[in-house]
Amino acid sequence: MKTGARTSRASALAAVAAAGLLAVLPFLGAAPFTITLLTEALIFAIWAMSLDLLVGYTGLVTFGHAAAFGLGSYAAGYFAREVTADFLASLLVAQVVVVAVALTIGFVATRVSGVAFAIISLCIAQVLFQVAVAWRSVTEGMDGLVGVPLPKLLGLTVDAGTEFYLLTILIVLAVYVGLSRLVESPFGRTLQAIRTNEDRAAAIGINVRLHKWLAFILSWAIAGIGGTLMVFMKAGTTPMSLHWSESGNVLVMAIFGGLGTLFGPLIGAVAFVFLRDEFTTRFEAWQFAFGLVFVVVVLAFPTGLAGIITHVWRSLWRARS
Amino acid sequence: MDWNFVFVSILNGVVYGAFLLLTSLGLSLVFGLGRVVNFAHGALYAMGGYALIAVMRGAGAGYWPALVLAPLLVVPVAIAIERATIYPIRHRHDIYTLLVTFGLSFMIIGGIEYLWGTGTTLLKPPPPFTGTVDILGNQYPLYRILAAGVSLLISAGVFAVIQLTPIGLRIRAITDDAGMAEALGVNTKWLLTLVFGCAAGLAAFAGALGAPIFAIHPEMGMNILLDSFLAVILGGLGNLPGTAIGAFVVALTKSIGGGYIADWSLALLFAVVAVALIFRPTGVFGRGRVA
Repeated sequence: MKTGARTSRASALAAVAAAGLLAVLPFLGAAPFTITLLTEALIFAIWAMSLDLLVGYTGLVTFGHAAAFGLGSYAAGYFAREVTADFLASLLVAQVVVVAVALTIGFVATRVSGVAFAIISLCIAQVLFQVAVAWRSVTEGMDGLVGVPLPKLLGLTVDAGTEFYLLTILIVLAVYVGLSRLVESPFGRTLQAIRTNEDRAAAIGINVRLHKWLAFILSWAIAGIGGTLMVFMKAGTTPMSLHWSESGNVLVMAIFGGLGTLFGPLIGAVAFVFLRDEFTTRFEAWQFAFGLVFVVVVLAFPTGLAGIITHVWRSLWRARS
Repeated sequence: MDWNFVFVSILNGVVYGAFLLLTSLGLSLVFGLGRVVNFAHGALYAMGGYALIAVMRGAGAGYWPALVLAPLLVVPVAIAIERATIYPIRHRHDIYTLLVTFGLSFMIIGGIEYLWGTGTTLLKPPPPFTGTVDILGNQYPLYRILAAGVSLLISAGVFAVIQLTPIGLRIRAITDDAGMAEALGVNTKWLLTLVFGCAAGLAAFAGALGAPIFAIHPEMGMNILLDSFLAVILGGLGNLPGTAIGAFVVALTKSIGGGYIADWSLALLFAVVAVALIFRPTGVFGRGRVA
């Protein structure tokens, strides 16, 4: 137990140190474009970590996680444009909307698991996608929500670029530390028990459905935070943010990084954004390269980047001692 | 109410339903046999369309020989794909094959974009089916009627193979109870490879046959993939007669609903399917299986 507490404190310290390093990058002459990419990557990291809670820790593979992200974007963006650009107020509104939807959807969807859950989540995300396309008076259809103002924090405008980047780092850090504590808590252990064996978890008295439901709601809420940041970063959103190809992308980030490790999806998201940028500028067939990497990872490295890194780290550690 | 509009919508729905039948039968068969949710099915459909173009341009063949050749070219490719990527992970959880086929879909679409570009190709209906035919005062393209007829005939052929031949018997046995079938000496592994290849052939044929109607572009398989999923779930995964009904329910809802409540019809359809899957996991019409 004691070593567990020590490692989690060490990993929290490492996270703070890493965040600090990221935060000084703009002042060390990093190009504005790199900062933009990093901001996007970190927002995706929030989304990928939220997916990991559901897929990696609870064992519910979803093909509709874009719904949570896109819904958060629409709710926050609409509120910010129509009422006030205050960041915290928009975040709160987005959270209320996302959690309300997740409460109802999660209640029915978590009745099933496995492939059935994957397809149901896909269908639900497509419902939201179609609603975003069809409900033109609010969502402006395929054109999407545009003209979202810059966010205000405590009355001060957060400028695009460095200031927004720093805000994103703070939120990613909070989400990472919060989630790491959560997965180590009795609640997190319970989720992992359900992932390992649903029937046995139920047999030792765990309310499986309740825990799956709670994990679903929590996962959506955190994805909604990512969506809120994204709508401010891009000053708008389109129905494509809800499309199932986006749900696939976030799965790629989490699996590529390594499910069940929080740290994995984080580096997975960063790797995804930078690799995609490289691939799209260098290769004509970036989708092909992308699919190939994904297939190879699923086939040969089911533990992802994080698995490879831990493996190397452990063998170095052993060699030293 | 404009009855001609309704009538043409229904006709369009039936034509699309016939195509959907070809793609969703393959999807349902592969799931029933190996519990493989094939996300690459739409990409294989697109591969059929491009194989058609390749044969017509590369070998200077006419439309009809190309239509026969295109799916025959896709089948070995699909068999190789199954052996290389799905076969090695069949002992793992179902979800892994789903993830791998998702990646494969990216690879195939990316490959198509690399070889043929991202543009859209519209083929003219081949002679002598270029004209229209008068149905109750509506001018309807003759080729669509023909294509729907061919699709229905081939689907009937698939049903006949499954119901009447020894190999069909084995397929039904595995779908019912894979463990028991294997114990009785059915080679489930090779049969899945074979059926995967044939399902891809059906999808590719649909893609090639539909080229003069729906146009060819790299992402052409995405919508039909989603619609096939809906059809298969409505009918019950692995349940072929249910899948057939599901295909026409989806196609008619899309074409008739699309004319009146526009994009809301699809939202409604997805909602219905999600609810159906939760409360009737065996499909609305019966005996398929999901979990």
